[in-house]
Amino acid sequence: SHQPSSVPSSQILHSDAIEMEPETMETKSLTNYFSKMHLDSVMSSC
Amino acid sequence: MTPLRLVFSVPPSARMEASCLELALEGERLCKLGDYHAGVSFFEAAIQVGTEDLQVLSAIYSQVGNAYFHLRDYAKALEFHRHDLTLTRTIGDLLGEAKASGNLGNTLKVLGRFDEAVVCCQRHLDITRDIRDKVGQARALYNFGNVYHAKGKSICWSGAEPGDFPEEVTTALRKAAEYYEANLAIVKELGDRAAQGRTYGNLGNTHYLLGNFREAVSSHEQRLLIAKEFGDRAAERRAYCNLGNAYIFLGEFKLAAEHYKKTLQLARQLKDRAVEAQACYSLGNTYTLLQDYERAIDYHLKHLIIAQDLNDRVGEGRACWSLGNAHTALGNHDQAMHFAEKHLEISKETGDRSGELTARM
Repeated sequence: SHQPSSVPSSQILHSDAIEMEPETMETKSLTNYFSKMHLDSVMSSC
Repeated sequence: MTPLRLVFSVPPSARMEASCLELALEGERLCKLGDYHAGVSFFEAAIQVGTEDLQVLSAIYSQVGNAYFHLRDYAKALEFHRHDLTLTRTIGDLLGEAKASGNLGNTLKVLGRFDEAVVCCQRHLDITRDIRDKVGQARALYNFGNVYHAKGKSICWSGAEPGDFPEEVTTALRKAAEYYEANLAIVKELGDRAAQGRTYGNLGNTHYLLGNFREAVSSHEQRLLIAKEFGDRAAERRAYCNLGNAYIFLGEFKLAAEHYKKTLQLARQLKDRAVEAQACYSLGNTYTLLQDYERAIDYHLKHLIIAQDLNDRVGEGRACWSLGNAHTALGNHDQAMHFAEKHLEISKETGDRSGELTARM
């Protein structure tokens, strides 16, 4: 079988083909905020 | 007029408050569905109406910033994440400030403003450490890693190969690896497999650029395993492609071809034509390295057809250049000349001076 003697040149395979993972953006959810507010008001009225 | 001033100029009214909230909640619903254009319209209408609840306003700014980020309008993303940072600092909302700093850091990184991004990442990390928020700390460390990785990549000498970059690049890449390792220690402790998957992927890419190809393979294997656990085919595809790249530089071309074939299969399943083209191109190059020129031609032709369909003239030029070389190796001089001429024509059109010079040779 073919045994490579050297690593290939970047002319053949360029390093810009690497695949990065996505960024993680921080979220501020209004739905969660209002659910929490509703829960707090229910708890305080008890 | 800044959005902050606008808010304070709106007289309080129950009807107006309800209207702002309704608009913002609809914006949030649309963004969750991935319709960021429509989401932004609702959020901007909500800002116009205004609210006295500054936590609501912060959530709106943050979500508009993220929507613009997803739409790749980074100047607008920057504008809204800045508004969010100013607001959270004004009201003394530490957790909100940490989140705004994280988002601002990510945006500055994409814009190539790495020094400013580092300041934001540090603020994100400092606050999350102060308030003992482990999840937030892990996310700040991941962002930090991404900033140093992008910084390293941005100053790479063009034409230099992985493992052969100037000192400034390797310093940035080593810092990236340190931050990813610090992140991994926390997300493992938290048992957050999804976060581990993302970090292993980027750590693998960092090792790859540093020339640590065995470590790169090891990280990408972990990434692949986690992607399979979640049935995340896009992540699986990324891992196969990155493994293929690492095996190329290890000189294990048959293994590289196997991984690129998996990439191609998944790209087709996911109906991602651009990635399908890239996989064909990588396979063509790998079979060239294996001196199997017939297969190389087959994949480069597949790449050429997709590049033409996508009107990607640069891709088309690369395919023609590769086809010219493969035909030369097989002694098909007429075909080689045909593709060399096509390559020259495309290089002139795209203004690729080095491609033009190569073609003339």
